[in-house]
Amino acid sequence: MNANIESIKKEFNTNVLEVSTLHNETYLTVKKELIVKMCDYIYHHLDLPVVCIFATDERKIDGSFKIHYVFSEARDDSFIILRISIDEKNPKYPSITNKIASANWYEREIQDMFGLIPQGHPDPRRLMNFEDWPAGVHPLRKDFDIKTKPPRVDGEYIYRRVEGEGVYEIPVGPVHAGVIEPGHFRFSVAGEPIINLEIRHFYTHKGVEKLFENISIDKAVFLAERISGDNSVAHAVTFCQAMEKIAGLNIPPRANHIRTILLELERIYNHIADIAGIATDVAFSFGAAHANKLKEDVLQLNERVTGSRLLRGMNTIGGVRRDIGGSKDEILLSLSIIQRDFRKLMEHLSSTPSLMDRIETTGRLYNDIAKGLHVVGPVGRASGIDRDMRRDHPYAAYKEFNFKVIVSKAGDVHARTIVRADEVCESVGLIEQALWSLPEGDIRVKVDKIPDGYALGICEAPRGETIYWIRTSGNKIERCKVRDPSFCNWLSIEYAVLDNIVPDFPIINKSLSLSYSGNDM
Amino acid sequence: MLEILRKTIKAGCQTTKYPAVPDIAPEGFRGKPEISDKCTFCGDCIKVCPPGVIWFTEKSGEKTLSLSYCGCIFCGRCEEACGYGAIKLTQEYELASKTKEDLITSIRSKL
Ligand code: SF4
Ligand code: SF4
Repeated sequence: MNANIESIKKEFNTNVLEVSTLHNETYLTVKKELIVKMCDYIYHHLDLPVVCIFATDERKIDGSFKIHYVFSEARDDSFIILRISIDEKNPKYPSITNKIASANWYEREIQDMFGLIPQGHPDPRRLMNFEDWPAGVHPLRKDFDIKTKPPRVDGEYIYRRVEGEGVYEIPVGPVHAGVIEPGHFRFSVAGEPIINLEIRHFYTHKGVEKLFENISIDKAVFLAERISGDNSVAHAVTFCQAMEKIAGLNIPPRANHIRTILLELERIYNHIADIAGIATDVAFSFGAAHANKLKEDVLQLNERVTGSRLLRGMNTIGGVRRDIGGSKDEILLSLSIIQRDFRKLMEHLSSTPSLMDRIETTGRLYNDIAKGLHVVGPVGRASGIDRDMRRDHPYAAYKEFNFKVIVSKAGDVHARTIVRADEVCESVGLIEQALWSLPEGDIRVKVDKIPDGYALGICEAPRGETIYWIRTSGNKIERCKVRDPSFCNWLSIEYAVLDNIVPDFPIINKSLSLSYSGNDM
Repeated sequence: MLEILRKTIKAGCQTTKYPAVPDIAPEGFRGKPEISDKCTFCGDCIKVCPPGVIWFTEKSGEKTLSLSYCGCIFCGRCEEACGYGAIKLTQEYELASKTKEDLITSIRSKL
C-alpha cells in the first residue's frame, strides 16, 4: 500500500471505515463529519489536488447517496478516493469549499443534480438548475425519470454587485455575436479596467450524464465523442479507458499507438485553432489567415487518416474500429510540412510588435490562483502548474515515447500561446515516434459484455485533463460522471481579466480556450 | 511589413474553385449512407444505430426501411452490422436540404 494511504490511516485511524483498492484507485470510506479535515489533510499536507468530486445515488443498494472526492497522486500514478455516505432523510454534508476553492462548482452541481446540501458553502446559489426550475427536483436522482418535463416556476438569480462611484456594469451575452454557445458575462468596470467579472453558464444543459444511464454501452461511446466537439477523441478515449479498466481488458499495442496518434492530431489542430483565434482577436488578419490555413491542412490530414475531419468514429471499447488510412510516409511528410510552416508562422507572430504588445502581460493568471482553482491543461501549464496526464497518469502508448511537458511561469496570453505552440511541436514528435514504432497486429479485442464494476478513466485532452468515472451494472451504465477540463478552467477567467481593459477580454477568453458544450452537459 | 508581403505573395491563392470544380472526399471518408436492394429487412442496422435514425414501416404487407440523414452521425455502424453489404457509407457529403423529408432515403420490399 502506498505511503499516502499509510499516513492517512495513521492520522485518522478509526475514522477510516473501509479501504479497498482496485487497479490504481484506493477507495476510503470515511465518516462524513470528518470529510473537511481529511480533504484538508490530503490537499494541504500530502499536497494532492482534487481532480473531481461527484455523487452517486445508491439508495437502491443501501438507502444512501455517496459523494466521492478524487485526489490524484502523480508520483506513482494512483488515485485516492474518499467516499462519504449521506442519508436520504438528512441530505446534508459539510462543504469543503472554504478549505479547497476548486470544490466550489462541484458542490453546487451536486446540490442541483442530487439535492445534497453542502453546509457552509460560501456561495450556495443554484448552478445548473435555473431559477425557473422547481425546487426539490433533482435530475440525476434515480427516481427522476428521463422523460420528466417539470413545470416552469418564477424565480430570480441574484448577481454579485459591485457598487461605488463611477462603477458601471456591462452585461454581455448569453447570446453572442458569432456562432458560439450561450454564456453570460457581467463586468463591473471603473473607467477602462475591469474590477469584477461574474460568469454564468449552463444555459443549454443537456443532461448528458442522465442520457448515459439510458443508452446501451456500445452506443455510449458515440455520445461521449459528441460531448465536446473539438475534443472528441479525448472524450471517447477516456470513456473507453474507464470501460476497459472495469472489464480488465488489455487492448492491442497497435490500437494504443493509433489512439496516441489520434489524440495528438486532435491536440495539434486545436492548438493551431487557438493561435488563429488569438491572432483574429487582435485583428492581425495575416497571422490568422495563415494559422487557419494550417488548421485546415491538419483537418484534411485527419480526414485522410480517419475518414473524419474531427477524427470521429475511430475509438471503441477494446481498441479502435479501423486502421489508420494513408501511408506512413504520406502522413509523416504532411506533418513535417505542417510543422515547418507552423514554425515559420510562429516566428512571424513573435516578430510582430502590434501582436506582441497586445498579448504580453495581458490576462495574467497567477500561479496561486491557478493552483487554487485547479486550472488544468495548457492554461495551467502556462501559469506554472507542471501537470500533464500523459506523463503523470500515462495511458495509450505514452509511456513508450519521449516528449517534454511545456511549462511557463508568466501566466499571460503570450505564455499560453507559446505553451501551445511548443506543444504542437512535441505532438508532431509523438506522432512520428508512434508511426515509426507502429506494431503490427490486431486493432481491437472483442467485447461482448462489461462486468459490474467501477473505474476512472483519465486523459489529457487538448484543453487539459478529462476524467470519467463509470459504474456499470447488468451490462448497463449505472452512473457516468464526466469532468471536462473546462469545468475546472471557466472560473479562472474571472481572475485573468482583473485589471485588464474590456477590449482585451476577447483575447483573454480565447487564450483560455474554454468549451461551452464540454462544461454545459 | 515587407516580410508579410513576401509571405503573402509566396502563399498565393489557397482557396479552391469549389463548388465550380467538385471537391472529392478522400477514400475512406464516411459520408452519406446508402441502402441498396440487397437488403433483406433483417433489422440488424436498426439495432446498432446510435442515434436511432433507421426504422421500419409496414403497410399492407410491404416493408420499408428508411434512414434519415438528419440525425445520422456517419459512424458507419450500420455498414459494419449489415451481413448482406446492403448499406454502405459513401464519399458523398453535400447533404444540405430545405426540408427534412428530402433527407430520408428508403427502400421497399418487393411484393
Ligand atoms: S440494410 Fe442490412 S442490416 Fe439493415 S435491414 Fe437491410 S440487410 Fe439488414
Ligand atoms: S452511419 Fe451511424 S448514425 Fe448513420 S445511419 Fe448508420 S449507424 Fe446510424
